[in-house]
Amino acid sequence: MTVRGLLWEALRRRPGQLVRLLCWSFAEAAPSFVSGQAIAHALDDGFSAARPLTGLAWLAVLAAAWVAAALGARQVLLALAEIVEPFRDTLLSRVVDGTLHRAAATGARPDSAAVARLNRQVELARDSFGAVIAVLRTFLFSVTGVVLGVLTLMGSVLPLVLLPLVGGLALFLTSLPAMARLQRRLILAEERTSASVAAMVDGLRDVTACGAEERVAGEVGQDVEHQARTGQALARLTAVRMLSLAVGGWLPILMVLAATPDLVRDGATAGIILGTLTYVAQSLTPALGSLVQGAGVNGVRLVVALERILTTSARPPSPSTGSAGTPKGLLLRLRGVSFAYGPDAEPVISGLDLAVRDGDHLAVVGPSGIGKSTLAALAAGMLRPHSGRVLIGGVPVDAVDRAALCRARVLIPQEAYVFRGTLGENLAYLAEDPSPADMDKAAEAVGMTALADRLGGYEAEVDPAGLSSGERQLIALTRAYLSPARLVLLDEATCHLDPAAEARAEEAFAARDGTLIVIAHRLTSALRARRVLVMDGTHARVGTHKEMIGASPLYQDLMGRWEGPAATTP
Amino acid sequence: MPDTQPPGGQVTGSAPPGGSAAGDGDRAADRLLAEVLRRSGGWPVVYAVTALAGAVVELMLPSALGRAVDVLVSPGAVAGEALLSCVVLVVTVVACDAVAVLAAGAGGAQAARRLRLRVVRHVLAVGPAMSRRLPAGDLVTRLGSNAEEVGAAPEALITAVALLVPAGGSLVALALIDPWLAVAFTAGMALIGVVLRAFLDQTTAVASGYQQAQSDIASRLFDALAGARTIAAAGTEDLETRRVLRPLPRLRACGLALWRVNARAGVRAAIVVPLLECAVIGVGGLRMAAGELSAGELFAAARYAVLGAGIGSALGYLNRLGRARSAARRVQEVLDRPAPGYGGDRLPVGRAGGRLEFRDVTVRVDGTPVLRDIDLVVPGGAAMAVVGRSGSGKSLLAAVAGRLVDPDQGEVLLDGVPLRRLGREELRRAVGYAFERPVLFGGTLAEAITVGRPPDVARTAARAAAADPFIRRLPRSYGTPVDEAPMSGGERQRVGLARAFAHGGRLLVLDDATSSLDTVTEFQVARALTEELRDRTRVIVAHRAATAARADLVVWLDGGRIRGRGRHDVLWRDPGYRAVFQLDGPPGAERG
Repeated sequence: MTVRGLLWEALRRRPGQLVRLLCWSFAEAAPSFVSGQAIAHALDDGFSAARPLTGLAWLAVLAAAWVAAALGARQVLLALAEIVEPFRDTLLSRVVDGTLHRAAATGARPDSAAVARLNRQVELARDSFGAVIAVLRTFLFSVTGVVLGVLTLMGSVLPLVLLPLVGGLALFLTSLPAMARLQRRLILAEERTSASVAAMVDGLRDVTACGAEERVAGEVGQDVEHQARTGQALARLTAVRMLSLAVGGWLPILMVLAATPDLVRDGATAGIILGTLTYVAQSLTPALGSLVQGAGVNGVRLVVALERILTTSARPPSPSTGSAGTPKGLLLRLRGVSFAYGPDAEPVISGLDLAVRDGDHLAVVGPSGIGKSTLAALAAGMLRPHSGRVLIGGVPVDAVDRAALCRARVLIPQEAYVFRGTLGENLAYLAEDPSPADMDKAAEAVGMTALADRLGGYEAEVDPAGLSSGERQLIALTRAYLSPARLVLLDEATCHLDPAAEARAEEAFAARDGTLIVIAHRLTSALRARRVLVMDGTHARVGTHKEMIGASPLYQDLMGRWEGPAATTP
Repeated sequence: MPDTQPPGGQVTGSAPPGGSAAGDGDRAADRLLAEVLRRSGGWPVVYAVTALAGAVVELMLPSALGRAVDVLVSPGAVAGEALLSCVVLVVTVVACDAVAVLAAGAGGAQAARRLRLRVVRHVLAVGPAMSRRLPAGDLVTRLGSNAEEVGAAPEALITAVALLVPAGGSLVALALIDPWLAVAFTAGMALIGVVLRAFLDQTTAVASGYQQAQSDIASRLFDALAGARTIAAAGTEDLETRRVLRPLPRLRACGLALWRVNARAGVRAAIVVPLLECAVIGVGGLRMAAGELSAGELFAAARYAVLGAGIGSALGYLNRLGRARSAARRVQEVLDRPAPGYGGDRLPVGRAGGRLEFRDVTVRVDGTPVLRDIDLVVPGGAAMAVVGRSGSGKSLLAAVAGRLVDPDQGEVLLDGVPLRRLGREELRRAVGYAFERPVLFGGTLAEAITVGRPPDVARTAARAAAADPFIRRLPRSYGTPVDEAPMSGGERQRVGLARAFAHGGRLLVLDDATSSLDTVTEFQVARALTEELRDRTRVIVAHRAATAARADLVVWLDGGRIRGRGRHDVLWRDPGYRAVFQLDGPPGAERG
């Protein structure tokens, strides 16, 4: 979707409101048509003709036009709201949708500042969209009103008003591209400065500790200088652009004055001259002014914000959407699997062969960063191997229907996800309507009963920020236990539990029907497993605990250290 | 949880600004504004001259136009002098406007630039003490929009004055044309004031409901992002999108309410000025019928009524000036934080250095001592573990050891030289810091490690910190930009360790810097600390007994004092010491 497409869609979505907007715009533009007429008649038929009551009556007409305009302005604003608010909703939905999908696909996780930034972009787009519509509409209706007004007053005056206006507009349009470029550069420069200042402030302790004050001051200084230079360039261009206002707004007044003696000879009265001047000063100049000042800035803001929103709301190519249906059986097989995070990166996993039978219990052991989580993601079908194949029940994971895959296996990562909602909603996240009895059973098995009681039962609202990491993990584990999946992957999912609670949870999953793969945080997990996969960066070996003690020096080393008493001097 | 962690923590400098703080603050703010005005070069002067000249000419224009109309409509008139004076005035107004726009924009940018550079340098010079005093977000605001507002202060002041000229002048001009016009105008003006006030009252209440809904969505999104992996595995992206957007109807309802309030206030505002103008024309028309006013004068009166109504925006600019003053105060508070000075002394060369000595060191936080009377010597090349319960002062001791914080009393010496007397370069080359949550800066990972050191140290340091294997697996290896590198807490810690190893030539301070590492990696780092880095003095804040057991010397802090020192196996006999290593989280959960 393009910026243009987004805007077009927003305008087209509420045709009724668009019509309402246009209709009330006529009311709002009433004074730009009435004002000159009313002044001319008030003077010529009233005050100058010694009929002051007629003069006052014409002024009352003018006042009535203004009241109508104010009421019209209110309706216009409300119609605008009905167009702009849904536009904001669309943008926000797109941003949330895109951000979530991308985070899920890439694991890249924007921080709270980035989330706030997304929110600001949406607000900015909403505000400037409203402003652009309002400014353009006011200009068009005011000009129309003035043209009709002048025509009915005295047609021959029209060129004196219209020609300079066209000239001023042409000047404005000529400067617009350069203006938009600078405006855009300024917005980007401001963002860069504030980002680099924020980074500096966040890292003050570290900057001082590294003695990098000068370097950082230089880097931030460059951004500050760039922003100031851009601001000055913009000020220069803005000054030049004042010319278009002068030509479009002031020149008509001077030209009408210069032509006055001729116009009077052609039958113009003082009222007609004053009426024309009123049209220009009262309606035309302000409308041109707000067009020149408002359309440029807001238009650029709108486009820049929308471009940002479009990048953040683009969904990544969706992962497996195979249609091979449900896998038969649970045999998990990796054949010559290799994976690297980038073209220049060393492979995290290379040539891995592994078979995990239905009902097996496997622990994966190795230093952090060696690729254990990558292995879990590959086995769960969340990452695609660069070479080799991952098969579940004989079917390649990328060929399995995604919904079926999600029912077949469950992966619980280290950072447990608990959302605002009831405890029951959190537990039932992966299951289809579990009964309270099911929940009780799962909570009891995993060891969450005490926590559930403390929180106030399944109907109680939970606030993730009010829970400890360990408590969140207990909720995530119970959720996994309740899911229909028979292949369970725990990726350090118990690391914040104490050893006893970890043992209870792992044993619950081991006793559950199906396969269990545990990425171990503590080595005790390996002792509980039927088989152990040891990853040391170059090889990956599988075997029982006993076999691995004999076969893997790393495993032997680790076990020796772990079993030794930590509290005494080595 | 670390105890008093340097940034974002609650340690403050010793002397809070006392006395009549508000009055002093205002005066300091005014001084800063005056200084900004003085240092912005010629732009404010140019702006003042053009804006005021423009205002005066604008004031003359309506009556000149009115006169021109009167002259030109009379039969047989020729476009002569009257028109010429109008042309001259219009050209002057336009020229003044253009130059004023340039001066205001360029001058504001220039002033904000100077101020920002100055504050940035000052914030860096003060260092971590600054973020202890002010939360990070607040500091960013002061440097960003506050500095901008201060920079725009000269413009706001001049504009307010320049707007008051036509506003006040119009009233005079109306009275000069006809006193009754001035009366009609003043009565109408009173109305405008009432309307503006009513508007301000209503917006704030609705606006807060809107912001509430907005932040509700933001925090739901933030929570969901924290669970991205769970969501990816469960394939529940669409479900989550709907859950995050649940407050959307409330947001729209509040948004529409906000529009309605705006619209209602807009009606009143849109009506007042034109009605004011109608009233003035009406009164003027009656006077005209009575033969007291010409057509041109009536036109001039109408224009003056509109010009005079501009007093509302003049008040708006005065308001901006008030904001600039409070912004200046906030910027001045940053500039008022004292920056630590550095001496020019060098460390003695030769011999294995790194002897660290605390002499009677006391550090206060908000007036209460958090470290008291610390006397301590760490021999050069020794490893010292600092242990103690949360809040016992471990992190503060670490911060004082390498001068991230200056003690309120006493002295810290490295190889016999007081830290305060060392040059900054010299100090930072000698001391390296690693933290529990390091903040990495620099373009690439290699630069984040070296930060000014020669590029070839990156790999060696990363190897010692067990960071090399995972960095080489990143998309662009050492060339991966820091903000594009997907790193877990433990991986980030290891890059932080590598940076410390690349820097501290004599002393390494590790403040809980291995807490997120798994057993295996922690062992690798511990081995590097006891083998490759054994020539450097190491101060290690630790929570694990195994770390303390490996150290040459353990210092046990309790309530800010040294409760025990010696070897771990000796101290271990004390049940109080053993209790330090027991977990104190809620049952079932190890860490909060």
